[in-house]
Amino acid sequence: MGSSDPSEIPTNIPNIDTDTRLKLYRTMYECRVLEQRAYDLFMQNLVKGTSHLALGQEAVAAGFGTAMRQDDYTFCTYRGHNHTYVRGVSMTSILGELMGRECGLLRGKGGSMHLTSVEHGAMGSYAIIGAHLPVAAGAAWSAQYRGTEQVAVCFFGDGTTNIGAFHEALNFAVIWKLPVVFVCENNLYMEYTAIADVTAVERPAADRAQAYGLEPILIDGNDADAVYEAAGAALSRARKGEGPSLIEAMTYRHGGHSRADPGKYRPDEEVQEWLAKDPIPMYRGRLISLGIDKEALDAIESETNAAIEAATEEARNSPPPPVDIAHIDVWADGSASWRN
Amino acid sequence: MNVLMPQLGETVTQGTVVAWHKKEGDQVSKDEILADVETDKAAVEIPAPADGVISSVQVQEGETVDVGTVLVVINGPEGSAEDSSVPATDEQPKTDHSSEASRSSHSGKRPSLSPVVRRLIAEHRLEADAIPASGRGGRLTRSDVMSFIESHAADASAQPAESAPAQAKSPAPQPAVPLFSDGDRVPFDRIRRVTAEHMVRSKATSPHVLQAVEADFSAVEFVRSQSRERWRADHGFSLTYLPFIAQAVCVALRDFPRLNSNVDGDSLILHKRIHLSVAVDLNFEGLVAPVIQNADGLTVSELAHRIHEISARAREGKLSADEFSGGTYTLSNNGSFGTLLTGAIINQPQVGILSIDAIKKRPMVIEGPAGDSIGIRPIGILSQSFDHRAVDGAYSAAFLHKIKTLLEEKDWSAEL
Amino acid sequence: MAELTYREAVSEAIAQEMRRDSNVVFLGEDVAAAGGVFKTTAGLLDEFGPDRVKDTPISEQAIIGAAMGASMTGLRPIAEIMFSDFFAVCWDLVANQIAKTRYMTDGQCSFPLVLRSANGGGSRFGAQHSQSVENWAMAVPGLKVVAPSNAADVKGLLAASVRDPDPVMFFEQKSLYATKGEVPEGEHVEPLGVASIVRSGTDVTVVALAAMVPRALKAAEILQDEHGVSVEVVDVRCLVPLDTKTILDSVSRTGRLVTVEENPRLCGWGAEIASIVTEEIFWNLDGPIVRVTTPHIPLPSADALEDAVLPSSERIVENVKRLVD
Repeated sequence: MGSSDPSEIPTNIPNIDTDTRLKLYRTMYECRVLEQRAYDLFMQNLVKGTSHLALGQEAVAAGFGTAMRQDDYTFCTYRGHNHTYVRGVSMTSILGELMGRECGLLRGKGGSMHLTSVEHGAMGSYAIIGAHLPVAAGAAWSAQYRGTEQVAVCFFGDGTTNIGAFHEALNFAVIWKLPVVFVCENNLYMEYTAIADVTAVERPAADRAQAYGLEPILIDGNDADAVYEAAGAALSRARKGEGPSLIEAMTYRHGGHSRADPGKYRPDEEVQEWLAKDPIPMYRGRLISLGIDKEALDAIESETNAAIEAATEEARNSPPPPVDIAHIDVWADGSASWRN
Repeated sequence: MNVLMPQLGETVTQGTVVAWHKKEGDQVSKDEILADVETDKAAVEIPAPADGVISSVQVQEGETVDVGTVLVVINGPEGSAEDSSVPATDEQPKTDHSSEASRSSHSGKRPSLSPVVRRLIAEHRLEADAIPASGRGGRLTRSDVMSFIESHAADASAQPAESAPAQAKSPAPQPAVPLFSDGDRVPFDRIRRVTAEHMVRSKATSPHVLQAVEADFSAVEFVRSQSRERWRADHGFSLTYLPFIAQAVCVALRDFPRLNSNVDGDSLILHKRIHLSVAVDLNFEGLVAPVIQNADGLTVSELAHRIHEISARAREGKLSADEFSGGTYTLSNNGSFGTLLTGAIINQPQVGILSIDAIKKRPMVIEGPAGDSIGIRPIGILSQSFDHRAVDGAYSAAFLHKIKTLLEEKDWSAEL
Repeated sequence: MAELTYREAVSEAIAQEMRRDSNVVFLGEDVAAAGGVFKTTAGLLDEFGPDRVKDTPISEQAIIGAAMGASMTGLRPIAEIMFSDFFAVCWDLVANQIAKTRYMTDGQCSFPLVLRSANGGGSRFGAQHSQSVENWAMAVPGLKVVAPSNAADVKGLLAASVRDPDPVMFFEQKSLYATKGEVPEGEHVEPLGVASIVRSGTDVTVVALAAMVPRALKAAEILQDEHGVSVEVVDVRCLVPLDTKTILDSVSRTGRLVTVEENPRLCGWGAEIASIVTEEIFWNLDGPIVRVTTPHIPLPSADALEDAVLPSSERIVENVKRLVD
């Protein structure tokens, strides 16, 4: 197993220390197990509404999550369970939020599409495509203004590259040289339609970069090392005051757009081809070929499997939130009143 | 014209047609009786409002319909079917190009009384016709009524109410005309309102059965009086009967789990944990029931502390929303005013509530090997209201018996 | 006290707050170098420099989004949207993101930002540059809505809005920019959520907002002098939070309510107040509640047409007279 098409993607393996590699593997594995559990709970009707799973896209979340500073900001879309998790949020609170319980990250007030943990720098999951790009730019502006060298990292999909806010945010970030990294996870489909059918250029993010004076950056989003390296480079640029980056990471989602979608619009050969490029078994193979002990990887897996069981149990035992919390926290003082 | 089911009483919402005296095609004259209708409060004859021919009977004999339903349609002499029984309302204003609502007076008829005028007339028991009107088209204005009241102040039998009734946000609709105006209106505050709703709903939901048992508190009292001074000195508050009872209740609930449950449709959900709600009166300003989670895991001493602490915080209004939720059974301590027995209302969605009333020294028959004698014992009545959907009397009685037995026979000194 | 125009009071308030708190920053189109298309922000760039007073491209979504992101990470941004009509271009960021995110995140973030814009008609700019859109904001839970009628209130309420920890939509009525008023010198802050009785009276309560307040006051004078009707005028000032107490108290005393709204008829703020009054003090009403509004049409641009449809003092007088007869 090596890295994948298209042929522009470099195939040499970067030089990364073992601890970091193990962290990358653990993070990806945890994301996979968590997301799979979310799927199972949805099938058991314990997760209501809808949720958008990122099974197959773990390398992007893990690569950036590992390269970032704890005080950097992340912004992601409704497909954000992994992006939120890698900032240090507990499995229990994520599963709890999906099931609408008291222990949920948002105590059931936001749901799957809005996972946020400000204390971890996870500044929200945004359910309206494109909205969070300028918000990320604003957070970057704040960091620049305050002189803290924090960076805002903004994750979105290929579909976002066609909405107005994407273009406004990029232009804005470039002219003010903001410390923001825009990361497009191109999984080839905007919701149910192939992105190629609805986009004027071949590479929805990379081919727009030069329109905003940015270097096109295209990476294999399923190669955790490649993501980690590209992330490190972009973060470093931003921290040094050199401005924003736009990265297009090629990847694929194993499931449909949302739980309601079986994804039948994707050709079988394509699905099979990408399943064979699953980032986790691929990375496991690489680590072993680099001499890392198989037992270490097995230990990671069994620890994670135990952790998800414990988290599921804890989340399931948590009661629904008390009804009166529906009437608080519209305003900063905790109240919801519009009149005297 | 339509003849409607009339409102046969203030609270009546329906009526039944008992008998028709006319049928379709019949000619009727004004005031001729068309039908007999009745409710559980009254029986009444329905007269024809005008001359005409019965064109269609809409409700059959024996049928019960809502007030306002069309019973029969009569075609007037002109052959048209106009609506005649709807009470006269203000003309609805048409939006003209400047889009303002228009005037409220009819042409030719005396204008309707405005809300404030109606209220003042009702409060002062006046006759509208007796008051001179200065508004346009003969409209009676507020200042007309106020002037009249002032100039007749010597004759007025009722004190005028304060100018602005009920400014509080009350969800209940106001009565059409206030009938009783010489009492003092004390609007419900939020706690009272919420309590009222809960109580009505609880009674409507659960068929309540009251069942009581007497318990001899000698064993408890022995331990209590022994440790009274030391406890007070160590902890700063008195050790009451309540924590002992609370523990006995928790033990008993383990043996009788159906009382630690809630009814969900056709099922009983038995709770794994015991979270005791303890009713606390807030100085006559309301009743709240904060919850002690996992009460069965606590010793008497720990229960005493928890009860003391949450009661104090409840009275200071410092309880958080979490502390009110999740209770599985409720204790209501009513003894401080010396009552004998209380049939408490179940704290939904639970299925049982235990009232503990006064514990008093009473003469009791003591059975002994040498025969019966009279002794003095501290006796208290524990009265449970249970939801008869969940359990039957025998189960409840056995539960109460278990509590009684624990109170009377457990080695309480080991518990402190 | 100094005499300032309404537009001068805007920059005075912003300067007051920017001097006080170095986290206050300001962005918008043509606001820095040019001092604003309505000259409301002249002098700020000179005093505070380009790091704190920033010109943006024509990118309403980016402007509002950046304000949101900055406010959730320690700054207190003021963002200008040139004409309030343009909120429609970035309404997602306002209504879906800013207004709801605190609630959805169980109180983890707050958004101490001010979105100010030039609102309202009377300037012959035509339908897309003349709307009164405060009701769009009032209808979304999570937004505070302020619309001052005079220079002193501009300064005091804008200062309060900047200090408020929640998102505030601050609507300046463009037809009032040139009006003058006495403005307290030095630090001046007026609390949000307080309506002001700008004229006392006994026969009818006229509740008005922003540019309609001076028209209501003029009508009140005519009604007193020529018709002996004593009118109480209430300047609402703040739609959210709404000072219902002042309004209910006034209508309880007079028994009659007329609202004067520059917005088109449907779903204007006056309808909400009429509903509250009817529900809570019905038994004090001596006549129907009347709303004087622009009809439900887009605003025409010709001066004769625009003046004919916006509520005028004459139309207010006519409606009050009919009500009290």
